Amino acid sequence: MSYLKKTLTLLLVLVAMSCGDVLDKQPLDKLQGENLFSNPEGVKLYMANLYYQLPIEDFTFFRQGFNWNTGDPNNGGFAPAMSTDEAVHTEFGDFIGDGDFQWWDQGYKLIRDVNILIDIIPTLDVTDDERKALIGESAFIRAYAYFALVKRYGGVPLITSVQKYEGDVEALKVPRSTEKETWDFVLKETDTAIANLGDSWPGGERRATKWVAYALKSRAALHAASLAKYADRAPISGTAVDQKLVGLDKAAAAEFYKAAADASEAIISSGKFNLYKPSPATPEEAANNYRLLFEDPNNAPEEVIFIKGYARPGSGTGHNYGIWFQPNQTANGWPHPGRMNPTLELMDVYESYDKPGESAPLATSAAANDATDYTGFNASKQYKRFDTENDIFKGKDARMWATMILPGTSWKGQKIVIQAGFIKPDGSSQIMGGDPFTHGGKTYYTYGSADRTQYSGFDTWGGNNTRTGVSFKKFLNEGLNIAPGWNQCVTDFADFRYAEILLNYAEAIAESGTGDKVKGAKALNDIRRRAGHKTEIPLSINNVIRERRVELAFENKRLWDLIRRREYHTLFNNTMRHAILPILDLRVTPAKYIFVRVNVPRSNPSTFDYRQYYRSIPGIGANGLVQNPQY
Amino acid sequence: MKKLTIHISALLLLFGAAACSIDNYPAPDSQLYGTFLDAETSEPVEQDIIRGSTIEFIEHGYASQTKQTMIIKNDGSYRNNLIFANTYTITPVRGNFVPMAAQEVTVKGETKLDFKVQPYIRVKEASIEKVGTKIVAKFKLQQTVLNNVRKIGLYAHPEPSVGEPMRVALAEQEINGAIDPNKVYQLEIDIPSNSNVLKTGNQYFFRAGAIIDAPESKFNYAKAVRIAL
Repeated sequence: MSYLKKTLTLLLVLVAMSCGDVLDKQPLDKLQGENLFSNPEGVKLYMANLYYQLPIEDFTFFRQGFNWNTGDPNNGGFAPAMSTDEAVHTEFGDFIGDGDFQWWDQGYKLIRDVNILIDIIPTLDVTDDERKALIGESAFIRAYAYFALVKRYGGVPLITSVQKYEGDVEALKVPRSTEKETWDFVLKETDTAIANLGDSWPGGERRATKWVAYALKSRAALHAASLAKYADRAPISGTAVDQKLVGLDKAAAAEFYKAAADASEAIISSGKFNLYKPSPATPEEAANNYRLLFEDPNNAPEEVIFIKGYARPGSGTGHNYGIWFQPNQTANGWPHPGRMNPTLELMDVYESYDKPGESAPLATSAAANDATDYTGFNASKQYKRFDTENDIFKGKDARMWATMILPGTSWKGQKIVIQAGFIKPDGSSQIMGGDPFTHGGKTYYTYGSADRTQYSGFDTWGGNNTRTGVSFKKFLNEGLNIAPGWNQCVTDFADFRYAEILLNYAEAIAESGTGDKVKGAKALNDIRRRAGHKTEIPLSINNVIRERRVELAFENKRLWDLIRRREYHTLFNNTMRHAILPILDLRVTPAKYIFVRVNVPRSNPSTFDYRQYYRSIPGIGANGLVQNPQY
Repeated sequence: MKKLTIHISALLLLFGAAACSIDNYPAPDSQLYGTFLDAETSEPVEQDIIRGSTIEFIEHGYASQTKQTMIIKNDGSYRNNLIFANTYTITPVRGNFVPMAAQEVTVKGETKLDFKVQPYIRVKEASIEKVGTKIVAKFKLQQTVLNNVRKIGLYAHPEPSVGEPMRVALAEQEINGAIDPNKVYQLEIDIPSNSNVLKTGNQYFFRAGAIIDAPESKFNYAKAVRIAL
């Protein structure tokens, strides 16, 4: 009886409680939408989240996505450069798979988030100036997002306001726009941003300005223009092509090149930007300046237009360039350094100061076929002999010395030893393996030293030693020892810098054949002067592209340059990437160094297929979109 | 512990028993095969397995219109032993022949479907021989369309499916023009300067071909030749 009574009482209490709004409490640890936007600080907070989602191709970007510095950030030390002719991984041969470089769900998530803001801007209680800035900033973010989508997928659904689910899924399905309409939308959004954003932010915040929007327009318009001009280099067919969801007409090239040139010119003639230390006295000075520009882009406020910052070591706020890419000798306790190996292709392309205007392939012998002979060491070949491990690189562009750690050069107070082997006095070779060898009372080691912490090249142990003959330097800070853990590096990344704008400008003029050729040539030669070149070279497309490759190396531009110019499939058609082996030659006394050009050891050829110019669209079964060709 | 073991065993038995029930769907019951034949000479048209001509087919009776694909062997033949009996829309695409219209085909049991095509280029009177330290290919070309011939090539690989997409060594020559049907074209691969990929004592396959300048075109070849070095 008593039991029943108790139960009834309990029921009564519960019923009574349900009359109040006990269960309708607001969570105390979360902000509600209306509160968030009613407060300018809330809008700022929301904006910070949008910026965080921007697909900025920085240190945390690689083929599987962006912001790869949360959760488990172990990506094996891959970088986008390894999908191009700039570098190979020390250990793995991955190139580009069909699932790589996707950005679909995250893209539409960012677009939805920015649309929420755009829809609410007219109702916000803010000053007109603040409202204008919000309109500009949100247009910039949307332009950035759609640029990232269109360069991957071609034409995509243009969602310009928040979609609401009202019981009918079909009503939410938006078909793809044509590729032309999508590019036009991107440029229109940058124009809205340009018209509404100011010169700078009062507190110097790293937010979009008019100039950042111009820079985005310069980059996006050049991309679209090259696609239009070079589409017939890689023709594709299929439903998406028939409906113009992918592909641009050749005729569109002119307007896009003009848009790229005009946007770049606006930045150039604004007088607000300049190259960092534009006239060095010597190549050594040029190399140092160039290194400082990337070691910390805040060193060069006159050159950087837009920075993505890393505030403090930790998940989401640091990155991993500082651990993955140190040479083995300066691993500082990290078990797998040395993973970025710049290729011989890239080394070759740097000019020599005494031969301005052309690539200077590393010459290992006087043979006519020297630059194309990758058959390996040949005892009967007359190799050039050099006194040091880096003499062969002497006289080449300063930026090479600031982008790569060359054999025998100093890094963090150590001589970086990169040696592939030696040639015994009898002419037999011992390359990549074998026992120490004693000659003339001295012991010689294959990799240049007895202890595996005392060299940085060619040994396969741990996948930690470069297999191309040089190690990586750009962006690394010589003065800092990065703790051997995740996300400990806080180097900032310059997403847009003035040098890229100059190169965009020069390319748009050279490719379109219109515009001011004298100013185009000046843009090109200004960058070369900053690298220590004294001789001016004419404006030509080859000169611009070579300059782009060296100036912007490892800034994750090469991947898109090969895609937009439709050069990937010709460059990578069963193609081996190459390395240079520094070898100690004991046939002469004192011993000297010879160099052998070879296929990257333990690597396979790579091929880029036509269809990979467009990524496959995920989820077509549910979203009902037309798939890209051949997927 | 013993109880747990019994329980797990019982569960496994249950799963195992459940798996015995009959799959509701029948397996693919038909085969489709055939050869790409030169409409004029009735000779098979040589192809590439990887990144070569492709057969696209759409199975009727489904809303999705999903394109499935088949690849073609080097000798121009293809075969799919796991296809459902049904009607299909079949189109050879991205090939080394003049594009063909789609055709509706009923597949039932062992179904043969040859494609009579007009190859862009015929590689004629081809010979590939080892001469001294070189592999020398000689051949004539006949183009069947007005487009330019883009380039000619000689390719080497340890596997018989050698071709432009699958090679360890090559010799190519840009043509970018019309070809003279009477001219004997010659390409050479020097063995010593490819000594890292063409090793003495091993045997390799060599195949010579040419590609037309047309959208998504593929190489036309003569038959591959096996040569021991």
